[in-house]
Parts: sequence; structure tokens; C-alpha cells
Amino acid sequence: MVKLRKLKIVGLILLVIAAILCLGIFGFSCVSGMTPIGWSGGTVANNILYVGSMEGRLVSINLADQSRQWAETLKLPAQGGIFGSCSSMLSCGGGTSRVPIYGTPVVSDDLVYLAGYNGRIYAYNTTNLASRWIYPRDGYLSSFVGSLIIDQGKLYVGCSDGWIYCLDAITGDFISGYQTGDKIWGTPTIADNTLLIGSFDKTIYAFNTSDLTLKWTYTTEGSIIAKPLVYNGVVYIGSFDKSMYAINLADGTLKWKYDGATNWYWTQPLVVNNMLYAANLDGYMYVLDIETGSPIKVFDNTEILSVSAIASQPVAFENYVFFANHDGIIYKIDTTTQTITQLAALTGTITSPLIVYEGNIYFQTQDIVIQSVNIENGAVASISLISG
Amino acid sequence: LNVWELIIQQPLTNVLIVISHVFGGNFGVAIIILTIIVNLALLPLTLGQIKSAKKMQELQPKLADLQKKFGKDRQRLAQEQMKLYKESGVKPAGCALQMLIQMPVWIALYQSVVLALAAVPEGLLNLARYLYPWPVVFSSIPLNPYFLGMDLAQPNMILAVLVGVGMWVQQKMSTVPSDDPRTASQNQMMTWMMPLLFAFMAMSFASGLALYWFVNSLFRIILQYRMTGWGGLRRQKPVDTEAGKKYIKFEPTESKKMTIRDKEGQVIITDKESLKKSQKPGFLDRFKFTKGNDQDNQDQEK
Repeated sequence: MVKLRKLKIVGLILLVIAAILCLGIFGFSCVSGMTPIGWSGGTVANNILYVGSMEGRLVSINLADQSRQWAETLKLPAQGGIFGSCSSMLSCGGGTSRVPIYGTPVVSDDLVYLAGYNGRIYAYNTTNLASRWIYPRDGYLSSFVGSLIIDQGKLYVGCSDGWIYCLDAITGDFISGYQTGDKIWGTPTIADNTLLIGSFDKTIYAFNTSDLTLKWTYTTEGSIIAKPLVYNGVVYIGSFDKSMYAINLADGTLKWKYDGATNWYWTQPLVVNNMLYAANLDGYMYVLDIETGSPIKVFDNTEILSVSAIASQPVAFENYVFFANHDGIIYKIDTTTQTITQLAALTGTITSPLIVYEGNIYFQTQDIVIQSVNIENGAVASISLISG
Repeated sequence: LNVWELIIQQPLTNVLIVISHVFGGNFGVAIIILTIIVNLALLPLTLGQIKSAKKMQELQPKLADLQKKFGKDRQRLAQEQMKLYKESGVKPAGCALQMLIQMPVWIALYQSVVLALAAVPEGLLNLARYLYPWPVVFSSIPLNPYFLGMDLAQPNMILAVLVGVGMWVQQKMSTVPSDDPRTASQNQMMTWMMPLLFAFMAMSFASGLALYWFVNSLFRIILQYRMTGWGGLRRQKPVDTEAGKKYIKFEPTESKKMTIRDKEGQVIITDKESLKKSQKPGFLDRFKFTKGNDQDNQDQEK
């Protein structure tokens, strides 16, 4: 009986400790998405696809023979003391032991550029992926989540420290910068010598690309992470206030606002056949009149069989719009008939942007694989990005 | 969303965001207020737990008597202890059971704090699934993670230390002192292990959680104090004096000096420890005794 009591006490202590450990490991890390993994999309130049893999390195894939090259692994900023390494151990799948890459690589001339979650911008030679320059050369900035953009020899990128950085694309030297009121996780757009970018401070900023001086701002009621789209002198951008905005590029005045969605706009809208296609995290695709913002069509749960968040950047090709959702389903919308069909179904979520190249859609999935889906028949093929 | 997320996690997360919005987007204040609200909601359970522990404490002298009486016969001792628990209406496993019942609520609260913090892009994307279609919720995200100059999305050493200290005080106050060396050793282990474990975890995770733990400990400390006083934190009470016996009380150092000059005027109440000390010969006594010996020796020599 005494032995039984002893066992009970020991068991109780073990149970409490086990509960706390479960709480720590599963409750904080995996369940709630505390671990950054990355969702870099691909860029194709000269039949070579460049992508920032979830292993934390730039990969180039020759689409002709599927041969791959890997750049050097991005380095993590030093984590202080034993606790940095402990938090790595406690996170799911060792996610924090490698540098997540969210931005899509950009190719310009003979260089390919990449911004990492470690707070560094990298330039590599396109041929052998050898490092050309790193910014900053010493230390790290805050995390980069959005993609960068190259225009007239200058590189522009928004950072989590709220700054927009303008660097010399050839040398990586700092040219100018501008600090917004909060984090920037969005990607800039350039049109008519105007750089547009949204910030967590709920504002869209328009700058002169020449010297990064402010032209105008427009404040919405929610944070902005989506990339702006410029079409016929109008800026189209979605916000976390569940609204899609059309703003005149020239002076920043509001043209129209559509607030029929029920969740955040996470991705850049598309214009096809004079209609605006705006994907929302509520899982619906909204088709709006670009002149008035009135809804023409909403692809909702009556037409989308598996409704889940659309966080992956949709893509347009000819008269079709392709989009993927959180459930791993890829849909194809015929913009002439406004009909939707399911192109392919994958296991696992899709958050990486879609690109179309030579009849295939390419995107990265969380198993560190580039998936290609044929836009005609939905045939799926995959190329591993795992090094070694 | 699954049932757990729908019933527990989603409402908690949205409430946290709304509170944060009401207090000017201050996430730290939101965590503090939500922790207090949840603690108040769980008050009946917590009070039951504290009362049960208090009853256990009251039983300690009787348990000690049983230990003395049946110390050699372990089986009989266990039987008598169980009988005593039954008669007094105390369930020894009750405290732990109540703690385990509260666990799911704590887990949900932890997850809501982490979710609402949305420190990494995946977290922010994940958060979108949990939001109610209230305009205030959508426009409040992302929340400002700064509180008193601390980034609640990052680990913070000061908060981690506060978590450890707060939990130690709470553990110490709620620990029932035991005459059984094994139980005392287990209590001692829990008093140190839990704070160390939580402090270690606080150093590894977003400090928003550490703030939650610290406020939670503070709430429990106040509650425990209101119910049972300082509990295990209090110094041991002096043992009861027996009528008709004389004791010597030793005042602190200064009084001891007086002892040398005037023994007659000393106050006569003390505790066990002081009594022991009093039985040892003082410095002056030894000196006199030695001198006396010498005198005797001298006489003998003569």
C-alpha cells in the first residue's frame, strides 16, 4: 500500500512536468505558428528557375534538365547564450535553425537578389550562385518578409524595422531610405517613377523613385501587407480592414473602395479583361469592375468546393486566372465565361506565390519541393530543393 | 477550426484583441486584464484548491502523531492516514486534480497570447482564421507588442526572472509543511523545480507568455495571502511552552552581553533552539570554571 502511494506521488509529479513540457513544446511552438518557415516563390530567367528554399538557401533549377545549384546557406544572426539554442530545439522541426526566406528572388542582368528573414540582402551571380555582395556587410537589419524590386540600377525593399531601403543594385551600397510608422512586410511596386508600398501603420506610401521623397500617402483602416497593383494610372490595393481600394496614382485620392469581403487581403490583385480579380483570406475570389469597384462576380462556397484562405499570390495567363488555397487546391478561372474549375489537389497548404512558365504553374510547398502543375491537364510533377 | 479552437481558443483570442484595442492598442495591459478575468472565472476552483491545502495543513499535527505512533508499521500508518483524511473530508489528490482541470484553460490562454502576438508571418496568417468579423478586431491587427519598453514577442530576461521569483513565492506559500522527510523532500523539489522550469521556458519564448505567468502568479499569491496568510513563507512558530517549566530567553547579541553582567534579570521564555543554546556554558562561565580549576589545582599543589 505504501509502495502504491509512493508510485502515485511520483506519477503525479511526472504528470505535471509532462503537462508543462507538452504545453511548452506543442502549445507555444507548433500549434500557434510561432516558427517562421518561409514561403518564397520562384522567378524564371533564361529557362532557369530561382527560388529561396525552406532550407534557407537560394536554389537555381535548370528547367530543361532539372539540374540544380545551391548557393551558400544564409547565416542566422548569433543568438544570445544557451537560450537561443534552446528555443531552436523546442521549436517544430528545427525551423529556427535555418533562415526562412519569404521574398521571391529577383533577377536583373547577371545578378539574382534575395532578402532573408535574417535581416540581410544578398546578390549572387546568376551563373554559379557565388555571392557578389551582402547588405549590410556587418551585422543584420530587422527581418525581410516582402520581396525586393529592381528599377534603373536601384534596389528597393521594405523591412520589418519600418524602413524602405534603396541600394545600388550593382555594389549594394546604401543610397537612401525612408522610415514609415510601423513594420513593412509587403512588396513594393514601381510605376511611372513612383514607388508604392504598404505598411503595418495602415498607410500606403508613394515615393519618387529618384530620391525616395514622399509624393503622397493614403491611410486605410487596417494594416497593409499586399503588394499594390498599378493599372491605367490607378493603384489597386487590399487592406486588413477587409476593403479593396482604388487610388489615383497621380495624387493619392480615392477612386473607389469595395468592402464586401470578410477577411484580410493578403495578395496583389490582378487585372484581366478589364476586371479586377482580388483574392481574400476568406477563401473567396472577388471580381470587381475596375472603374467603379462594384462586384461583377464572387467565386464563393457555391462554386469553390473547398473554401480556405488564399494567401498564395494568384497568377494570370492569357484569359485564365489561377489561384491556390490553404487546403492545397489549385483552381482555374476562365475570365471570358467566369467559370471555375479545379485544376489540381495537393496534400498540404500552399502559401508560396504561383508563377506561370511555359504551360506550367510553379510554386514551393512545405516539404521543400518545387511543384509544377500543367495548366491544361493539371498533371503534377515535383523537383526537390533539398541539398546534399 | 476544430471544436477546441472554436469554443475556447477563438473567443479568447478575439477578447484579447478587443481588450487591447480598448486600452489604446496596449497588448501588455490586455494580457494582464485577460489573465485577471480568467483567474476570476476560475476562482471557485482555485479557492477549493487553497481550502483543501489549508485543511491538509491543519491535519499536519495529527499526521505527525500518527507518524510517531505507527512509524514502524507502514501499512497501519497508511491505513490510519487514509482514515484521518476520510474523517476530515480531505482528498490528498484533490489539489492536483483541480490543477489538472484548470490546465486546458491555461493552455488556451497561452495559445491565444501567442496567436494574438503573431510575431512571425505564419503566425499572422494563422491568426486570420481565428478572427470574428468585427471591424474592431480586423483593424486592430497587428497588435503593438511593446509594453513598458519590452517587446512581448521576444524573450525577456527581466520577466523570466520575475516569473521564477513569483512562482517560487507562490509555491512556497502554498506548500504544506510536512514532518515526513520524504514528503518534505518532494515539496522542496517542487518548490524549486517548477519556478526553474517556468523561468527557463520564459527565457526561451515570447515574453508575452512570461507576463501572463507573472500576473497569474501574482494573482495566486494575493489570493493565497488572503486565505492563509504567508503560509510556507512564514518563519517556523516557536513551540508551545509548558506550564510550570522555566525557560531562558536569549535576546539578540546585545542582550547576550548583558548576560555576562547580570544573569538574574533575564526574561524566561524561549524556543527549543534557544533553550539548547542556553544550556551550553557561556564564555564567562567557562572562564570562571577554568579559573576555579586552576585555583583548586594550586591548592592541591600547596
